[in-house]
Amino acid sequence: MIEFENVSLGYGDKVIVREITLEIPDGKTLVILGGSGSGKSTLLKGVLGLLHCFSGRIVVNGAVVDSLTQNELLSYRQRIGMVFQEGALFDSMTVGENVGFWLWEHTDMTDSEIEARVRLLLSFVGLIDAINLYPGELSGGMKRRVAIARAMAPQDPLVMLYDEPTTGLDPFTSKSICDLIRQVQKEFGVSSLVVTHDLQDAFRVGDLFTFVKDGTLVVTGDRDAISKSTDPFVRTFLAI
Amino acid sequence: MLLDLLESIQSFSLMVYHAARYCVTNFRSREVLIQMDRIGVGSVPIVFLASLFAGLDMALQFEVVMAPYGAKALLGKVVATSIVRDMGPVMASLVMSARVTSGIASEVGMMQATSQIEALSVMGVDPVDQIVAPRILSGIVMMPILSVIGDFLGIFGGLVIAFLAAHIPAPLYWSGVREALTLPNMVNGAVKPLVFGFILTSVGCFYGMKAGGGAAMVGRTTTRAVVAAAVWILVANFLISKLLLNLWGNEG
Repeated sequence: MIEFENVSLGYGDKVIVREITLEIPDGKTLVILGGSGSGKSTLLKGVLGLLHCFSGRIVVNGAVVDSLTQNELLSYRQRIGMVFQEGALFDSMTVGENVGFWLWEHTDMTDSEIEARVRLLLSFVGLIDAINLYPGELSGGMKRRVAIARAMAPQDPLVMLYDEPTTGLDPFTSKSICDLIRQVQKEFGVSSLVVTHDLQDAFRVGDLFTFVKDGTLVVTGDRDAISKSTDPFVRTFLAI
Repeated sequence: MLLDLLESIQSFSLMVYHAARYCVTNFRSREVLIQMDRIGVGSVPIVFLASLFAGLDMALQFEVVMAPYGAKALLGKVVATSIVRDMGPVMASLVMSARVTSGIASEVGMMQATSQIEALSVMGVDPVDQIVAPRILSGIVMMPILSVIGDFLGIFGGLVIAFLAAHIPAPLYWSGVREALTLPNMVNGAVKPLVFGFILTSVGCFYGMKAGGGAAMVGRTTTRAVVAAAVWILVANFLISKLLLNLWGNEG
């Protein structure tokens, strides 16, 4: 479970999100919607411990992120699956090396065990044939798939975080990425946080939805609650 | 302004401290070998050319100055002393700053701009461990080797001019070179590349890690890194020369 308790976050002295309270139950996917610069990605950085809370606290499966020591934070991050915008794959490594990187770094698995897991994960995302390609040789959609496989490398990720996973993709590829996100959630039962500004994709992947405007939450709830919201910002967002 | 400078010095010192610690506690042999190949082996052709022509030119200029005094016979010693003590390491390092520092700064800068550095942190890997430490270590190991290659080629270039233009017999030139290869000169020539190798790579990494934004920012950062590395190499060269002159006197 991920809990935001009265959380304010930002960069330097600048507050980006203000006093947010939010809860993502186990095995559910919460989609954070909002315009550019509204603070959506900042919330993900808070969960990752890349930013410290100005006030409040973020609790992930009982661990208060801000109170973790540097070593505890490194261990904690090892169990967070993060899919960055455009993948953030390591250019100098092949697809297989990207997916296996976490396993080489943090486990005692042998090379053959790692290769087997890498093949399994790449089969799961439908890219087993790309194992020896470099990120520069992949399309945008393929990069996101590899990024999802890489994020799933830990055997037991606590949560999966997706930062704009479909931005810049064509509608068909976007749908296939959304289906994959849904499949990951079903098969692994992890809590997921998805940041997007695409409403159609949000409804494809989410169980719960929240709208962020100027760093504050406008409304949170399931699809019905969102659809019935009378907030002008949400109504405008839904109408576009 | 002053605060920014102090902050940069602090960040740089911390980066170097952590890199040194990781070199001992978490030695990444594969990454170090890859970087040694890129930084060292990949730079051989450019060091080869730069040093050869520097040696040719140096001998040409010295010969013009020394001939009226009947001191042409000393050409081998003068060229070798200049190259081994100063010009060899400095020339190789300045050429390398254009290749290695810019390469590292732009590569690391692009990694920063495309969230690859952030991805490393998120995956529980310190970017200094994965990226900075292997590059600095490779620079420190490979620069002296490249410098020796550069020294040899510079001296060889001098021989070509000595033989063809100054009409000095090769054995006389080589005996002058042997006279120049004294312990103080060799120490000078060995210490400088170590320091320059550190400067080339650490400055590239530091600026790369600080890069943000898009391609334009990475470009600007790369330019700054190359300029900073070149300036620091010249400053360090002067300081090491002064230090070793105080230590050895004017021997050599």
